[in-house]
Amino acid sequence: MTAPLTQGSTLRPGGTLYSLDDVSVRYATREGHVAAVDSVTLDIRKGEILGLVGESGCGKSTLGKAMLRMISPPGKITSGRLIFDGIDLLTLKESEMRVLRGARLGMVFQDPMTSLNPLERIVDHITETIRTHERRVSAAAARDRAEQLIGRLGLRVERIDDYPHQFSGGMRQRIMIALALALRADLVIADEPTTALDVIVEAQFLDLLRELRDEFDLTIVLISHNLGVVAEVADRVAVMYAGRMAELAEVNQLFLEPHHPYARGLLRAVPNIELDGAKLYQMEGVPPDLRHPPAGCAFHPRCPDVMAICSQRRPGFDLLDDGRCVACWLYEDHEEAAK
Amino acid sequence: MHPFVLMFMIFGLPAVIALAWVFTRGGDALRRYIVTRVALTLPMVVILVSVVFVVLRVMPGDVVSSTLGPKATDIARETIMEELGLDRPLIVQYGTFLRDVFTLDLGNSFVGARRPIIDELGERLPATLELIIPAALFALITGIYLGTRAAVRRKRPSDYGLRMYSVIVYSMPIFWLGLLLRLVFSVWLDWTPIAGRIDVVTNTTLERTTNLLVVDSILTANWSALGSALHHMVLPALTLGLVLSGVFLRLTRINVIETLQEDYVVAARARGIRKRAVTYSYALKNAMIPVVTVIGLQVAILLAGAVLTETVFNWPGMGRYLVQRISSRDFQAVQSTVAVFALFVALISLAVDVVYSVLDPRVKY
Amino acid sequence: MAHDRPRIDIPDWERELERVGFARRLLRARKWYGADWWFVAISSLMVVGFLLLAAFPQVFAKYDPLDLVGPRLLAPGERPNQEVLILREDSEFESIADFEPDVRTRVAVVIDTPSSEAARDAADVATEERAAAGLEGRIRLEILRIETLDEALDSLLNGEAVAVVASSSAFGEVDAGYPDLVIAGPVSTLEQDATSFPLGTNQVGQDVLSRLIWGARIAILIGFSAAILSFVIGIPLGLIAGFAGGKLDRILTLIMDSIYAFPGLILAIAITAVLGPSILNIIAAIGVLYIPTYYRVVRGQTLSAKQELYVEAARSLGARPRAILGRYIFPNVIPSVAVIFSVNVADAILTGAGLSFLGLGLPLDIPDWGIDLARGQEFIRSAWWLITFPGLAVMLVVLAFTMMGEGLVEIFNPKLRRK
Repeated sequence: MTAPLTQGSTLRPGGTLYSLDDVSVRYATREGHVAAVDSVTLDIRKGEILGLVGESGCGKSTLGKAMLRMISPPGKITSGRLIFDGIDLLTLKESEMRVLRGARLGMVFQDPMTSLNPLERIVDHITETIRTHERRVSAAAARDRAEQLIGRLGLRVERIDDYPHQFSGGMRQRIMIALALALRADLVIADEPTTALDVIVEAQFLDLLRELRDEFDLTIVLISHNLGVVAEVADRVAVMYAGRMAELAEVNQLFLEPHHPYARGLLRAVPNIELDGAKLYQMEGVPPDLRHPPAGCAFHPRCPDVMAICSQRRPGFDLLDDGRCVACWLYEDHEEAAK
Repeated sequence: MHPFVLMFMIFGLPAVIALAWVFTRGGDALRRYIVTRVALTLPMVVILVSVVFVVLRVMPGDVVSSTLGPKATDIARETIMEELGLDRPLIVQYGTFLRDVFTLDLGNSFVGARRPIIDELGERLPATLELIIPAALFALITGIYLGTRAAVRRKRPSDYGLRMYSVIVYSMPIFWLGLLLRLVFSVWLDWTPIAGRIDVVTNTTLERTTNLLVVDSILTANWSALGSALHHMVLPALTLGLVLSGVFLRLTRINVIETLQEDYVVAARARGIRKRAVTYSYALKNAMIPVVTVIGLQVAILLAGAVLTETVFNWPGMGRYLVQRISSRDFQAVQSTVAVFALFVALISLAVDVVYSVLDPRVKY
Repeated sequence: MAHDRPRIDIPDWERELERVGFARRLLRARKWYGADWWFVAISSLMVVGFLLLAAFPQVFAKYDPLDLVGPRLLAPGERPNQEVLILREDSEFESIADFEPDVRTRVAVVIDTPSSEAARDAADVATEERAAAGLEGRIRLEILRIETLDEALDSLLNGEAVAVVASSSAFGEVDAGYPDLVIAGPVSTLEQDATSFPLGTNQVGQDVLSRLIWGARIAILIGFSAAILSFVIGIPLGLIAGFAGGKLDRILTLIMDSIYAFPGLILAIAITAVLGPSILNIIAAIGVLYIPTYYRVVRGQTLSAKQELYVEAARSLGARPRAILGRYIFPNVIPSVAVIFSVNVADAILTGAGLSFLGLGLPLDIPDWGIDLARGQEFIRSAWWLITFPGLAVMLVVLAFTMMGEGLVEIFNPKLRRK
């Protein structure tokens, strides 16, 4: 029995808030069909910060959008289930989905410059969001909430009547978060939120994320190609490659002892100050053309530990004993290993 | 009261009041912009009027022969040249021309009763206004509404249909459209009158002050005159408005499509803002900004179209006056009318720029 | 790893690739661009069709546009009312040419019909034919004007008249009552009096269709010439202004903006009024109108191209400004210019038609759509075809060029493609 759509989640921390089950997203392009997201299974726990990493084009942004059901043609969610707080999102009508967006699911975008309407004042952005979802709120009450929110996010309240172009990048990102929080969303998906920010502002932003998570009871999915950012702030990390899940583990597990060969390669490639003149590690090969993905495991052409079965069958993504999931035949039972 | 003064009061006064209101309410940047822009109008008028001067006096072509015909006697030629000031050096001519235009001393017509041109224009200006204003309103409303619809339903049949409509309507010569409408509605169906601004009989009952028939008939509560005036106005305004609506449709469509792809629209949808709200208050408002800048240029099309429409429907406005005066080789009148058109363009361009600056908070000067 | 020598002409092969890419795109385009591709395809066909008409009107038009080939104001497809010669069955004659020369043969006609004129014309033709054959003598008629057709036919029966000339349709209605009278044949031996015209004839008797076809020639001539004039002047000015910058740029831009802002038709009217009516003057007047359009676009592209890295690189290597302009900046400008050109031609044709409609510009005997429209106005009640078809022709030509431009815009503009 599903709760009314807008009611906040009653889960305890640690319970599964959002479960993606074998989700695929396909794009029809001029050159053929592209599986931007290919059979991804993932669960997001309430109260955690989940990092979603991978190189450009691996499908993490698409996955983020899919979680809000914001894939538009020529893309389509072709299979799988999206269960958010017990609600199967794919069975909802668009109008019902709209109710969820903003109220319970929020998104912060990469480029703060272009994500705000240049013609609207900041206060109007926030009050509009509030009053779209909570019709009965008066203009004055909405404005009050907006002011509180802005203040909480570290911006001067007097500036609430200004236009977006009058703020700096870092401030604009805070405004974006404010918008996501205006209605006490349960889950916020932050798509490369710090890529456009400089390092100092980025650090402040990440601190802010942590605070907000504690204070507002947020669950955050942090999409980034920057491993350092994720290492600092995430509780668990999911690694994607070529539209598929490669590894999902606790942050310490992953960074100290990555299992999936791709993840291992990624971490070896991070420049280390102790290298002291030794050559930088570079993974062999290039990411595959998604129009014609390799047979079996998508990473096998580049894998230093490749086996025969890797080019024949695709590995599963099952739970291992130590609590992590890896999509690799090295960690999965199969006939060859037995030989 | 002189028609031009009247026109200024009707249109100019509210405009000045609006300007003052914006001025006091707006921020510093806006005020500076408005001042600069108003100040820029003067040089703009000078340049436009100079273009007219260059075209009419400097370009090759014998004005005198055009006026008198090739068989003019020497004495006649000399008299005309003196009267038009063509015998003086070019610079002096230019100076005199500028002075004349700015003091609104537009000279006298060569034809018939040799009335002051400014009077003749003054009589006809309201007619032209009563044509272009309804046409512009129709074009704006239809064009923007349909353009938005086309943008939202992109690549679907109604989009293509609307684009075909706008392209077809734009490709039609205005005078042909006018003639066709006349053929169908006046000749075949007999729904609208064939020409003129108002029924001849009703005309005698109407007391004219502004010479804007709609205004005058309302002022005197002469409802039959109002009805007749509107009845006569329908076809000409529709003709002009239809062609222009095609232009606005295309403009709006392209700009709304581009705006709909902007990030802030996606971000708004991610917050659950309704699609209709997103289309109209986010996309359309933003799309209107580039459209407004182009509206100023559409005025040029409007005026050009007015000339043709007035000729087809025998509408006694400035456009038809221009054409008649050319046929009767009344050089002075031609020169003055074109100069007045130039003034028009400058003023409307000013108005549009001010509106634009009010709409877009990013404008800084 | 071996390095290639630094190549200054990188944009060259990039340009090459663009060209190949475009051709490939064109072919694949049909599936991807959908209806827009059809826009361009159909309109290109139309444009080619009109160009053919304009180039070879004598091939397509049946008649000379200036010839008076038929009765006035004939509706499309309507057959002219044929005048026929009605004789008694036992008559010794078979046609007017058979009449005795130099004898005034009595012919009865109904008053207020074209019959008498037709009869006289036929007599004159017959006389000419006799002279050509070396025979002497003239065929002469004495025309009896009778009030009604019945009375005329009676006069034939009772011998007062030797023949009756009347319209075949009128006689057809009553011929049952006159079994002894036969139609000897059409009075006129000229083929033209028997044919109908697909689009009718105008108020002086010229074939509307032929005038339409010939009119294409002048319309397209004016349109293209004016566009080329604007092109040839506007683009170099834009390149120079954008490239040189500074005062020259400012002054030129000021002038161009003023012309651009001015209502086009009115400016063209003023220019033609001063220069006088002639084709060259019209072309010049319309050409001036579009110079600013090319100027602005080219200048804008030049300004942004100037800031491209490869241009800076070229300059740092000492390339001459002319080379930079010609090889780097100009090729980037071509796509937008192509679009503007087609729309330009469309607009030029429209303006040209407007000018000739107002009576300003063309010498009177050139077949032109605008003039035909203007002259057809007074017959709006009686002859709707006089204004319908010339205007339709203008619209179709303008439509073809506009659609081509519109389609090209969608195909060229990356921003309008769905992400």
